[in-house]
Amino acid sequence: MQNVAIIGSAALPIGRWQTKANDAEQVLEHEVIARLVVEAMADAQADKTDVSAILFAQPRPYTLQKYFATFIANYLRLPCNGIVAELMGNGMTAALAFDAAADQIRLGRARVALALGVNFETATPAIEHMMSSMRTTGDVDFHVPFGFTPISWYAMDAARYMHEYGVTRAELASVAVKNRGHAALNPIAQFRKPITLEEVLAQKPIVEPLGLFEVPPRSDGAVCLVLASEDVAKSIGQPYSLVRGRGFFHEGAHQISEVPNDMIALTAAKVAGQRAYKDAKITSRQIDFAEVYAPCTIIEVLVSEALDLVPKGGGARAAVAGETRLGGRIPICTSGGLQSRGHPAYVTPLYSFHEAFEQLRGRAGERQVENARLGLVSAELGNYNAALVHVLEAQS
Amino acid sequence: MTLPTINLDAKRSYPPRVTAFTKRFWEALGEGKFLATVCQACQQKAFPPKPICPHCWSNKVAWVDLSPTGELYSATTIHAAPAAFANEVPYRVAIVDLDDGLRIATKLIGDHVPLGSRVEIVVLQYRDGPLFAARPLEDSH
Repeated sequence: MQNVAIIGSAALPIGRWQTKANDAEQVLEHEVIARLVVEAMADAQADKTDVSAILFAQPRPYTLQKYFATFIANYLRLPCNGIVAELMGNGMTAALAFDAAADQIRLGRARVALALGVNFETATPAIEHMMSSMRTTGDVDFHVPFGFTPISWYAMDAARYMHEYGVTRAELASVAVKNRGHAALNPIAQFRKPITLEEVLAQKPIVEPLGLFEVPPRSDGAVCLVLASEDVAKSIGQPYSLVRGRGFFHEGAHQISEVPNDMIALTAAKVAGQRAYKDAKITSRQIDFAEVYAPCTIIEVLVSEALDLVPKGGGARAAVAGETRLGGRIPICTSGGLQSRGHPAYVTPLYSFHEAFEQLRGRAGERQVENARLGLVSAELGNYNAALVHVLEAQS
Repeated sequence: MTLPTINLDAKRSYPPRVTAFTKRFWEALGEGKFLATVCQACQQKAFPPKPICPHCWSNKVAWVDLSPTGELYSATTIHAAPAAFANEVPYRVAIVDLDDGLRIATKLIGDHVPLGSRVEIVVLQYRDGPLFAARPLEDSH
């Protein structure tokens, strides 16, 4: 088995890029990603001829070019011995692309593999987009008829958390303020103007108790990561990040378990995290920073607890106390989190890997975590019914 | 027992699909009965009702009346809704732990009560068919 390294990365600033169907001039996904592939490969200083696997996050249905991965194999003339495919798993989509690309390296099927994706969706209004997304997070016949939306499940996590731990909405909302502070330092984040707690609390409610600044925005984005076997990484001679540990778990439930459980324990994240720590031969205490998949403030709190980065029931208060802020004990979402970095959902985990890679090679600029050596990236689907956790390590 | 029925002069915003199997559930609901499936091999109940027991995968399942009461586990009010539900905002949804040991997700109506409160399942009889909902138990008194 080969060790897997991240050796290059390129990301589009997150924002609104998608053109409307009737615009005379179009911004098209394949041109965007092709430029990023070349940019990421230049960053990696890897040979095009070594690329032998292409693992895409599946694009949104709004991307008219279908069979996108194989289309790009042609567009960039990339013959591959390893696999060329698009992966799909709701919010976990891009993390599965990363995981599959890493497997191609581990198995020796490719010396260099691309994990990449483009998520364009903002030309479709939220009210229409939700007609599709509501069917991804629940039972179409036994949940959807009541009007559940994807983030309504997270809102119910928030209500339950406040009920069980006596946490206030303001304490939860402090996560959004902290994340905006991080995004202010991130040139590729979607929302960068600092905000106050009062402003967060004054936003219109979206899914109570969460308001506009505590839920993710609509976003377009694209990322290309270059993965390689460690011997390729070493031969290039630039700093790289090693995939040091990995854990996955699906709890066998979709949104809720019909057998009542502790919904806000995020069992999948807990199990996947423990597996990743064990695989990396570390404890949670050794993690220097974490980029967690957390569409809403409450989810950052809950997943940080499940990953044992903050005490159970203490996640929101850790944010209030500045423990999870840049410069704090365990910086979480230095890129700005999904509320402020933006949330092009099918590529969001690739942005998290991109941030971790930048941190681990000391290129995060003003938001650099000092002496960042071990970083954690998590991804999820549903209501964290499944989690995929990676531990990355700096190598120079 | 028969569930309280609330008649609504409206159509369901996003009607459930009905199969040869789930037809029994929706027809019974229309008559005020709240059914689940129960496995004849391992005795576990399942909701939503399934033709296969999710626990032991036996296909020997029977229909059973659920006790239509439980506890409010969590709830939210939705202000940003998909197009089909846009004319209903704001509306409430909930997770309910039924006394029969099943967790369900459904619509929430009636007074605002704290989590942990007792709730009952009621039938919402729309012009085009039924749905169910939870409401605080005190409302029925």
